[in-house]
Amino acid sequence: MRVCAFCGRELTQEGIERACKGCSAFGGCRLVKCPSCGYEQPQEPPWIRKLIEWVRHRRQETPR
Amino acid sequence: MNSSLAETAPLRYTPAIEHAIAEIASLLRGSYALRERTLALLLLQNDPEIWEEVRLQETPATFERIRALCERLQQESELPVAWQIEQQRQQWSQQIAARVLSQTAALPQPRTLADRIGRLCMNPWTGFPILALVLYFGLYQFVGVFGAGTVVDWLENGLFGQYINPFVERLVRATIPWRSIQELLVGEYGVWTLGVTYAIALILPIVTFFFLVFAVLEDTGYLPRLAMLIDRAFKWLGLNGRAVIPIVLGFGCDTMATVVTRILETRRERILTTFLLTLAIPCSAQLGVVLALLAAHPKGLLLWAGVLVGVFLLIGWLAAQVLPGNPTPFYMELPPMRLPSLSNVLLKTLARLHWYFMEVFPLFLLASVLIWIGQLMGLFGLIVRGMAPVVQALGLPADAAIAFLFGFFRRDYGAAGLYQLQEQGMLTGNQLLVAAVVLTLFVPCVAQFLVTIKERGLRVALVMFVLALGIALLTGLLLAHALMWLGVTV
Repeated sequence: MRVCAFCGRELTQEGIERACKGCSAFGGCRLVKCPSCGYEQPQEPPWIRKLIEWVRHRRQETPR
Repeated sequence: MNSSLAETAPLRYTPAIEHAIAEIASLLRGSYALRERTLALLLLQNDPEIWEEVRLQETPATFERIRALCERLQQESELPVAWQIEQQRQQWSQQIAARVLSQTAALPQPRTLADRIGRLCMNPWTGFPILALVLYFGLYQFVGVFGAGTVVDWLENGLFGQYINPFVERLVRATIPWRSIQELLVGEYGVWTLGVTYAIALILPIVTFFFLVFAVLEDTGYLPRLAMLIDRAFKWLGLNGRAVIPIVLGFGCDTMATVVTRILETRRERILTTFLLTLAIPCSAQLGVVLALLAAHPKGLLLWAGVLVGVFLLIGWLAAQVLPGNPTPFYMELPPMRLPSLSNVLLKTLARLHWYFMEVFPLFLLASVLIWIGQLMGLFGLIVRGMAPVVQALGLPADAAIAFLFGFFRRDYGAAGLYQLQEQGMLTGNQLLVAAVVLTLFVPCVAQFLVTIKERGLRVALVMFVLALGIALLTGLLLAHALMWLGVTV
């Protein structure tokens, strides 16, 4: 679950899309906007997601 | 049913709102799942889903009439309509609660340590000293002294200065025979020597440390408490605590923060905040470079911060007097204070670095290429010579004009230009302070200016540009003379 770093509310895909409607950056900003308070935080780029998955995978493989 | 509850009068809003509700309700003809009164209230509160539903179900003429009605009510009201509705609902629910509930014990005190710290952060007596500690340790010591001082010194003078740059320079000069191309790549303002070196050895470590601190503050839940703390001070500037969001984001990137001013309730607040962002809020990289420049002059750094806060408050107050209107109230639900999670902090920092680098790197390269073209055509020298009298009036060497010229591309690029001058030993402590103040208050970078045009219109953007330039130069001039008359050296 992703939450807003400012107001702590949950961020849903639908809410994010609604908040970004009509923005002058035309989605090229790589930021996620909270529909409740308007705070913006960067999207996780795909390579970070892959890195997290890789770390999780390695942890699971490591014998305890 | 409880008799006390039955005695409570039904909820009625102000006559203006009730009148608007009745008019909107009478216009609605579509088939909706909600009652007309509820729909009218949701429209007045600007609910995007209901607006979309009404747009689909009503004729364009009716839709326009409803929209005009809502806009007229908002223009005629001093306070935001949505806020008035919320306030009246709250009062009504408190009336009901007062009839059926009674309080026998004192209000509960904060139970956990996190609650107590959270309250201390919002209390003016303890909140401002806590803010000062956060700024001193988080920004000055960690970002300025360690990040922008120690790490940048190691990267720029050590790794890049002694190993990477001499190697690239030898490689380019040995393989490319054309002098102009050599200049483009490894000349004084070359793509590698200026663009890549500034971006990787100077800006990257500074923003990394800044984003680390920022992520920790975000993760603890400190920022909404800061908004509450600053709410009263911002009222003096015609704003409220909500403006903390774009202002705080401006310390990351002023361009994106300008877009975020949309969250503010009134046009007046949006203009005031955009102007303060344009004028007195340095972006992360610029802030870091200024901290690096002045880290060796603590008195200078203190004066720089003092002048900036002074200009922020004075110009903000003056702008609020010029623009008519009252500040709107601010309320928000506070998330709990918590210990930051290391993985969260690292992830946020990495995501922000990725975002920042994608923004900054192409612009740095482009600026180097533009400067190279300007040099080839002789334009660069012409502009620098043209700016020299202004720069010299500030008591700065003529070469400082280069840093100001860079500042037109990006503010941090301009600050990095000053960094180079300082490394060459061309600036005294006082000159460094004056240059840092002028460059911080200087005109917005190209990207921020374009977004300001888009958000506030060309006329407002141009007025802000001219005002920022004038205020920056005037403040620099006054500061330079004040330092001289008072015999202060930093």
